[in-house]
Amino acid sequence: MRDASAGQTERQLIRLAADGDLRAIRTLYDRYAPRVYAVVRRIAADDDLAQDYAQEAWIRAIRALPTFRGDARFSTWLHRIAVNAALQALRKMETRAKREGPAPDDVPVAPVHSDSLLQIKLERALDELPEGMRQVLILHDVEGYTHEEIGDVLGVTSGTSKSQLFKARAKMRALLGDLAQDAQEDGAEAWSI
Amino acid sequence: MEHLTAESLARLVDEPADAAEQAHLEECEACTAELAVMRGQTEALGALPEILPPMGEWDVLEAQLRSEGLIKDPGLVRKLGLARTPAWMPAAASLVLFLGGAAAGAGVTAHRTGEGSTVAESTTVEDAASAVRVAEDHYVTAVSHYRELMERDGVDDTMTDPISRYAALEHLVSVSQAAVRQAPGDPFLNGFLASALAERDAAARMVSVSGRENWF
Repeated sequence: MRDASAGQTERQLIRLAADGDLRAIRTLYDRYAPRVYAVVRRIAADDDLAQDYAQEAWIRAIRALPTFRGDARFSTWLHRIAVNAALQALRKMETRAKREGPAPDDVPVAPVHSDSLLQIKLERALDELPEGMRQVLILHDVEGYTHEEIGDVLGVTSGTSKSQLFKARAKMRALLGDLAQDAQEDGAEAWSI
Repeated sequence: MEHLTAESLARLVDEPADAAEQAHLEECEACTAELAVMRGQTEALGALPEILPPMGEWDVLEAQLRSEGLIKDPGLVRKLGLARTPAWMPAAASLVLFLGGAAAGAGVTAHRTGEGSTVAESTTVEDAASAVRVAEDHYVTAVSHYRELMERDGVDDTMTDPISRYAALEHLVSVSQAAVRQAPGDPFLNGFLASALAERDAAARMVSVSGRENWF
């Protein structure tokens, strides 16, 4: 019962937001901004870029709201827009960087909004992964995409996605070596967040 | 004994082992433990929480949305279509009362009962946020209801009878004034009243221009 009324409210919200209703847009933003920001932040591995990507994702989404038909859940639809916005922006940036020469190595590690040591270590290790591995690992292990979906989003085969995933997990394991050692000594509980 | 590679163990997190791998795992404690760690790592990644965006992100976004014309905020009276036709008057009056009691009332009058906590009564940030969410839902429901009424009544946007329009707005002003008397400090109701007064005055000028001065 509660779910049904919540769904109805969201449909109303989407309709109002598509018509440019500020409060409806703000309500959708408040509801989904943390999810949007999380995925673009992890893909970007940088706070400043993440803010730009999140803004771009929201603008794209609000612009496209009149075309949202409700075939998928709104959260899923919005999430896909956010992923695409971040990936496309990264590609643009890389293309520009290739033209302009190498970027400095000392990219600062962004602060992580978490009070868990494990979460902080995981986020930092994610930031250190090579970009291709990071994208696949985030989409698969963090966001729950299938390899076929990852293939669609990244423009690679599902086999490539799998291969990148296994490499990324192994690389993460190496980056988290100390933590994993602690986990071995303390048992699986040490991994729980 | 040759151990399984890290990439093989990464694959075994969510794919079955072949016969050779299975045989090795049954004999090798190190690889079994390493696989358990890899599984724990994957589970931990799946449990990573959402991340709050930085403060001020909404303000930047709102400015961008406005600059692109994606926010249409022409003033509440016009947005709700209250000035268009006297057929709206009952719905408009109901809506004003509804909004005054629910959306704005949650934040200011704070004396409603039976709908959970209100902002003014809240003692924690979480309670206040919850009350604001309830108020938002009321707002959305009210506006949607109003739209349904509009569609059901088959409103003709071309109907611009200035006298009827003025009468509808006059009624709206009086209802708004009553609401403001109950909650004089409420910015929502005061803004609503100001919009209604401006629309009414504009309608009065239209009446005058149409050569029907002193009709009232």
